[in-house]
Amino acid sequence: MMDTPNGSSSRTAAAEPDFAAFDLLVEALGRWAPSGPAWPPARRVRSEWEGVAPRLDKARLELSRVLVVGVVGGTGTGKSTLVNALAGSEVTTAGDVARPTTINPIVVAARDVDVSWLPLDVMQARLVRSDSPAVANIVLVDCPDPDTQAAAGTPPAESSKPSATNRNRDLLEAVLPACDVLLLVSTAQKYRSWIVAREVAAFAPGRPLLFVQTHASRDPDIRDDWRKELESQGFDVPRIFRIDGVEAAARMAAGLEPEPGFRDLVAAINGELAGRAARRVRRTGALDLAAWFTRQARTDLAASGELVAALATGVDAERSRLESILARSISETLRTNRSAWQRLIADDVVARWHGGPFASFLHVIAALGTLWSRVRPGTGVVGRLLAGQSVSGTARDGGWKAVEELGLPAGEVEQSRSVLAGLAARAGMQDPLVGRARLDDAAASAATAALVDRAGAWLSAGIDRLVAERRARVGRTAFHWLFEALFSTLLVTVLVRAGWNFFHGNLWEGKPVSGIGFLEEAIVWVILWGLLLRWLIFALVRLGLDRDIQGLVGSVASSRLVDPLLSDFAGAAATASTWIDEGTRLGAEADRLASGCGEMPGLGRLRRPAT
Amino acid sequence: MVRLAVEHGGRSLGWRNRGGNERRGRPAGVVNQQERSAESRQSMVSSGQSAAPSFAAWAGSVAELCDAVDRLTPVAASLGVADASAAAWHGALYGKLRPQVSREPLLVAAVCGGTNTGKSLITNSLVGSGISRSTPEAARTLHPVASLAQGVAARTDLAALFPGFRPVAWRSEADAVDAAAADVLVWREDSGGEQPERLVVLDTPDIDGTLRENWHRAELVRNAADVIVAVLTQQKYNDAAVRDFFAAAAAAGKTVIVVFNMVDWPRQRERIAGWLATFAAETGVAAAAVYAGPHDFDAAEAGRITLHPLPELTPGGVEVPLAERLATGDFDRIKRQAMAGAMRVVADSAQGLAGWLDAIDRAAAGWRDAQRLLEREGRVQVELPSPPREIVWDEVWTWLEPRRSAVDLVVSSGYRTVGWGVSWAARRLGVGRTASERKEDFAATELEALKRALADFIDRLDDACRRDDRLGRLLGPRLATADRKAWYADLERRHAALPLVSEDYRTFVRAELDRFAAANPGMVKAVLTGLTVGSVVRPVMTLALFSAGAAAVPAAAGVLHHVLDFGVTVAAPLVGEGAVAAASQGIRPLIERLFAGWSAERGRILAETLHNVVLGDGVEEIGRLASSGSRPELVRARHLLVECSRECG
Repeated sequence: MMDTPNGSSSRTAAAEPDFAAFDLLVEALGRWAPSGPAWPPARRVRSEWEGVAPRLDKARLELSRVLVVGVVGGTGTGKSTLVNALAGSEVTTAGDVARPTTINPIVVAARDVDVSWLPLDVMQARLVRSDSPAVANIVLVDCPDPDTQAAAGTPPAESSKPSATNRNRDLLEAVLPACDVLLLVSTAQKYRSWIVAREVAAFAPGRPLLFVQTHASRDPDIRDDWRKELESQGFDVPRIFRIDGVEAAARMAAGLEPEPGFRDLVAAINGELAGRAARRVRRTGALDLAAWFTRQARTDLAASGELVAALATGVDAERSRLESILARSISETLRTNRSAWQRLIADDVVARWHGGPFASFLHVIAALGTLWSRVRPGTGVVGRLLAGQSVSGTARDGGWKAVEELGLPAGEVEQSRSVLAGLAARAGMQDPLVGRARLDDAAASAATAALVDRAGAWLSAGIDRLVAERRARVGRTAFHWLFEALFSTLLVTVLVRAGWNFFHGNLWEGKPVSGIGFLEEAIVWVILWGLLLRWLIFALVRLGLDRDIQGLVGSVASSRLVDPLLSDFAGAAATASTWIDEGTRLGAEADRLASGCGEMPGLGRLRRPAT
Repeated sequence: MVRLAVEHGGRSLGWRNRGGNERRGRPAGVVNQQERSAESRQSMVSSGQSAAPSFAAWAGSVAELCDAVDRLTPVAASLGVADASAAAWHGALYGKLRPQVSREPLLVAAVCGGTNTGKSLITNSLVGSGISRSTPEAARTLHPVASLAQGVAARTDLAALFPGFRPVAWRSEADAVDAAAADVLVWREDSGGEQPERLVVLDTPDIDGTLRENWHRAELVRNAADVIVAVLTQQKYNDAAVRDFFAAAAAAGKTVIVVFNMVDWPRQRERIAGWLATFAAETGVAAAAVYAGPHDFDAAEAGRITLHPLPELTPGGVEVPLAERLATGDFDRIKRQAMAGAMRVVADSAQGLAGWLDAIDRAAAGWRDAQRLLEREGRVQVELPSPPREIVWDEVWTWLEPRRSAVDLVVSSGYRTVGWGVSWAARRLGVGRTASERKEDFAATELEALKRALADFIDRLDDACRRDDRLGRLLGPRLATADRKAWYADLERRHAALPLVSEDYRTFVRAELDRFAAANPGMVKAVLTGLTVGSVVRPVMTLALFSAGAAAVPAAAGVLHHVLDFGVTVAAPLVGEGAVAAASQGIRPLIERLFAGWSAERGRILAETLHNVVLGDGVEEIGRLASSGSRPELVRARHLLVECSRECG
């Protein structure tokens, strides 16, 4: 409200649109529309926006300029006659000698109105100054007709006809962008003209309208029927003026009192288009335009939104399919590698046991076992992890091979990507927004490396956790001493037996010494006893391992392992749906502002799509 | 020129029937009548210089031409040629020539013009009563209304005479404005009996209003008409929609009578010459007569209109009221002109039927390009895993069994026992796998390979559709809307259903071995040697669309299977030292063929999935479209077109 004259702002504020909110909306739309993904629906919205944005900007920047009123209608409906009547003198040629009469547009403005901002050269228009009170506060443009230029795509054989040079419709389309308000002139013969309706519909969004039936003295009153027709085209039609341009011009020239219809029209122009009303008309027009744009965009995006949602659902389904394949395979590898678990858990625990006969016994066995494991290093990502090796380096750079070793065949991944490519194609998404079923080499190596990295991190963390739990279970000192005690029991028994034999039996009772035979037997028993105890330890380690592996593998979904393989589809769906949601939000805001800005009693507006 | 002996009899037999009778011989009793009838029609068309059979031939040719075009229309539609039903030649052929060439020569006069220019009022004044409601509101006449002479409706097939409409008997003047009806033509017989017997007068919907359906109906009536009463006003005479409508009428040789209505009479009388000159220059209309209707709202409200003849603008300068001019015109000359004009439109080299036939040719050529692109792109190479040895070996053993000596049998059973023992030991050590495990492994790996190939193939089709619009239109929707999961499920199902060794393959192996044994009797021994060594095979399969394309794949040492639209080429070279060392030159190709034949059968799985669920009949469709440029109907239609235009003169 910065340049609202003093005092009266409170009265107009109720009826005027919320300027600050409107500015925010235009800014938000300006950020939103061009930010869509590289996707046909988004491109359509962007190109539509490129037509709308300059007009919205203009409405904000040129708030206090006079309104440009374009007089439009079919040829012969009396546009020029009406312009002459409003201008009070013959500023433009009117008549019945030849159709079309007006070729170049005429711009009528009061003497003191600055029109240097009007692109007269683009409009190919001639400027005429007038002192008439009817045009004191507006700029009036006598537009060319839309109906005499040949239809687009007329065959070249037609080029010898006089109309081949007729560019009236093109000219009209160059003039209308400069107009803020349309004054639609029609007659009983032309109010249902298809070509006029088409041109007006193209330019009416965001441009309030005045409707005038001319030839009042000759033609029947068709205003009721015209209103029905206009309403079916989506217009709000508060009133239609009915005048006779010829008579009005004659009375003006003769200085007589104007006829009532013409007087009403002039009053409406002065009351609704001049002064402060002009600002409101411009703002309302801009709001209508913003609302129109968002409505078009939402209609266009509604169908696409469903397809995008279907793609997102598809991504989820394919992700869980791949995850379950991966989980099944990893779980099998983990379960079948019992010896690796043993080495990881028990050997480590045992390595930390010192000072005891059982510990020494185990160390000897472990030393023998190390030889065996050196011969067979872990294979695949899981094998390497279980062997305590790192998965970075060769395994990570192995591309598909590493992923397949992990248990996810490339064929399954390509099947998923192929299914998703189909869903993406249905939503209109193609290269480069989403990839193809078969990833190219660079993308494949990046995706597989990411997957192997994630899988490595996730698995090694999981394995570490399982190992740590089990180490804690068997690694307690008391546990150690229990086993030492159990082992020692046999050892002591053997020693006591040997001592008893020697001291009591041999020395005391004089029996012969049992000899080496007894010792050999004793060593075998000790080894067997030691191995039994070692097996017990391993059994304790394995107790509940399958269930824990199942638990670890069950967390594959939350670890988002296969995301890198489907990230283009997931990303495209997420981007598009976020963008559509933002558009819907802005659309609701535009509707709210447009409906809240009140009616303009005499002006029509295009508010709905045609029925 | 032969004057027409006008017939008013109730005969509406088609010319085609008569032509057929003439060729076959006919009952003598009808000869005269038919010849008279033929003569009357012939005179309409060929200035009477040639004899009756020429007209009969022309009429027959027109009918045949329509048949040819009828047959080509679905072809053109499937080729993606733009719909021709709105084209001028189509309207002339189907709206004028076909319905009228073999019927009683009625003269059709249609009152046409823009919305609210007074068409209904003028029609009512012509037929002498309120046949079509006249309202101050625009675009109210939705259906053409025809006024017929008495008895015409009974003997004329109006539905055939006005194709596109359903004839409905007149009930009231509100019929024309009934929004509930669709595509009807309201008819009423003249109650006064004054209407000339051969004259049909029609009121038509507008040609420039917001209801495009009205334009279409007016165009259908225009196509059928011989005389057009062009209702113009000073507001509308130079509107593009109006010009286009009447330019088409002029091009089709119709007689145009111009009525300038709502004229500020007599003030604007001298303006009319200028308006008419513009109209004539724009549309090519040479007005047969010009009338002016003064602007008189009260008279119009009362249903009255006065039309002033303008002799200064009328050729011959005669001053005849419009109704009288219509009733007393030289019907035969007018009809002849209109028929010849329609033929001219059809025969036009650029805008006529020939252009449409050319478009079909061009589209078919485009489809041939598309087909070649698909042949080039629609080809995937599948690297199948090495198959378990025994699948081939076992078959060979079975074949060999009856041909082997006892010594061989003992030796080989010894080998087998030893081999079994070795593999048992290997399995115990966790190194070897059992035969069934190996088969399971193979099946899993093979399915992966086939899935990758399917994904690759779909990618390639996507690319081809993007590069070629035609392919995109035909296959694009299938690729985008189909449930691709079902494709993979189908592949899995087919893969699971095909046993590792099928009966087909057994037959193939036996035939190959029989052939080999017959050609190389001494080599059977070598086969035994070959069997003792393990050979490794790495098959490479190429699956290509179209047998023609597949034949171009170098099939070195390979087997080519034709599966539906696909060629499956397999090369299965032996690799591994054992094979190279032991298999002599003679046996090597045999073993390779045996493996390749087996792999080719595996390839069928993919080919059948591609054919049955991915592409459907798309490939046959493309083949059909690509070959449609050489269809006999095209040649026939061109020939008939030349014939028709020659006979028409």
